[in-house]
Amino acid sequence: MNSEAKRLYVLLALIPFSYLLVACGDGGGSAPPPPPPPVGKFSNASLAGQFAFSMTGSELCAGVGSLFTRVGSFTADGNGNITTGLEDVNVCAGTATLEFTGGRYAINGDGRGTLQLTNSTGVTNYSIALSSSAEGLIVQTDVAATASGSFQRQNPATFSNAAIAGGYVFDFSGVDVNGSTVDPASFVGRFDADGAGGVRNGLFDSNIGGALSGQQLFPGGEFYQLDANGDGTRFGRGTANIAGGSFAFYVVDATRLKFNGTDFPSALAGDAFAQQNMAFTTASLSGNVAFLIGGSSSGGPISTAGRFTADGAGNLSNVVLDENNSGSITLLPNGTVTGSYTVDANQFGGGTMTWTDTNLGTFSFIFYLISPTKAVFQEVDSNIVSDGTLSAQTTTPISAAPLSGDYVLGWTAVSRAEEDYVGQLTLTSSGSLTGLVDFNEFATGSQLFAVPLSGTLVLSGDGTQANTFTANLQSNATPFHFTAYVVNQNIVYLVGVDNDRVIAGPLMRQP
Amino acid sequence: MNIRVHMKVGCAALAAAVTLSGTASTQHAQPAQQRDTRISARVTAYDATREVVVNGTVLSYSENSTSRPNGAHVMVQTPTGPVDVHLGPSSYLRANHFSLTAGDSVRILGSMSSADTGSVLLARIAQKAGQTIAIRSTQGFLLATGATRGMSNEQRMQAAQNVSPR
Repeated sequence: MNSEAKRLYVLLALIPFSYLLVACGDGGGSAPPPPPPPVGKFSNASLAGQFAFSMTGSELCAGVGSLFTRVGSFTADGNGNITTGLEDVNVCAGTATLEFTGGRYAINGDGRGTLQLTNSTGVTNYSIALSSSAEGLIVQTDVAATASGSFQRQNPATFSNAAIAGGYVFDFSGVDVNGSTVDPASFVGRFDADGAGGVRNGLFDSNIGGALSGQQLFPGGEFYQLDANGDGTRFGRGTANIAGGSFAFYVVDATRLKFNGTDFPSALAGDAFAQQNMAFTTASLSGNVAFLIGGSSSGGPISTAGRFTADGAGNLSNVVLDENNSGSITLLPNGTVTGSYTVDANQFGGGTMTWTDTNLGTFSFIFYLISPTKAVFQEVDSNIVSDGTLSAQTTTPISAAPLSGDYVLGWTAVSRAEEDYVGQLTLTSSGSLTGLVDFNEFATGSQLFAVPLSGTLVLSGDGTQANTFTANLQSNATPFHFTAYVVNQNIVYLVGVDNDRVIAGPLMRQP
Repeated sequence: MNIRVHMKVGCAALAAAVTLSGTASTQHAQPAQQRDTRISARVTAYDATREVVVNGTVLSYSENSTSRPNGAHVMVQTPTGPVDVHLGPSSYLRANHFSLTAGDSVRILGSMSSADTGSVLLARIAQKAGQTIAIRSTQGFLLATGATRGMSNEQRMQAAQNVSPR
């Protein structure tokens, strides 16, 4: 951590409370209630060990919401205490590496919980939901900062350069700042790590404010390096240059790295996933596929979910999607939809995809395959910067009974400003659901905890198409309406189709 | 990033436990793939090549309009009729001390677009009584979410004194 950043964050610790009171708005903020006695599958013991986390969100800066990112590692003792940790933040005032000096957490029987992390700037607060004892979803619940993301248990045995070896596919997103010009940015690509800090065969496609790079070789200077000052072996932290950008990263394990951009004032964050070692061809993408992406358009926030069938020979059929572009809903098919895809001749797994609806126009994408069943996915249509993931629908047909069970949810939304939701629900074989949700509403400075949730999931046809998911939050006068695309019996992609809110995120099954 | 500007998409379970051999670099000997970087036109896109200037008088202003795109809208009476103008998040306007009321004379630079609620001018720059606010980048994206990152160092230091724990 450089001295300039340290000085900035000393200043950050001196928060005038009047500032927070203004942000509180309607006074809806309240302390999280004490957790009930553990009844269920989870307890404080479920969160034990080292976990890497990543989040992107909105902070209040100079009176206005501003994007920020945080990526780091915390250690939970299984008994409600955070014993150590480290994080890298990229906030409006600069970047910094901050060590956690303590913290607390409490896990309910349903896997929901609260987390407090203490560093030299103060205490930050989070709501979490465990999908298992190895991973979960997380939302920051402070008045002046909301964010959402995920965390996974780290494997300290992989905290070395040697463990990071082979191909990785990445998806970084955030904002690119060039002077006073700020535009949304998305980078997708892949590289080979050589197990000794070197990077080879780096390729990327960027979309910065709608300007496409086309596939590019890394411009030079690329590397990755676990920290030699002890942070590498203690926290799995390292630094890297990927696709021409500088990053701090945290190792989850050899299959997953979490990156946080350090090229301030630009801010990028995202994950890299180990790529299956194979020569990718058109035949590598075959079968039913669901996707979920989000980002920005010239109108504001945009999120899109859908599905298609790839024939393994470059042709797409049965394209269905729901797009919420700042409240305007587009549903495909509207007319006749035809589509195609290519996988790059260099066999590194990159490719292009496009489909055209005779009434609504053409939708174009870039992808990089992690494996034949997973990829990162970037939209490249005009005035849209949006990315996410696509996954093979490996279970078809999909019926209600196998989908019943417990899930965690993590939704990111924009209404008047960012909203982040995390919670847990139980889905019955009849499609009804109940649960509890915590959320942070940035526009009003309101944090609500354990809000009762009810609703339904109604499957259509064989379940692989657009299904209907309705969520009634007790705190809201009107329900949220989603379209649900079922990936498999463990994951469901949701995209909101209401005009007053862009919202999307997954359901992830609990054990 | 971000729906904020970037909506994050949970993508857990993506990791595939694989071990790569040293052959990865030799089986792929070809350079970057040539891509077509022309982008497909979508009806709601901001077209920077077709920007227009609208001068008129404010008929009404709504911080949270039901018109799309979501956000603040101002209806401006022009010599050729009323024009619906999208101004992005109202919080951004307030933070920049930019307010509009009926009767204000305004000058808006932007690009006409269409939404399901009708034609709309996507404002890039708005002016009122000598006050100017940049709302979108030259490429048509809302500045609201990341605008503070485009501040000068001096402005940034000032802002740093008014933020919360990290």
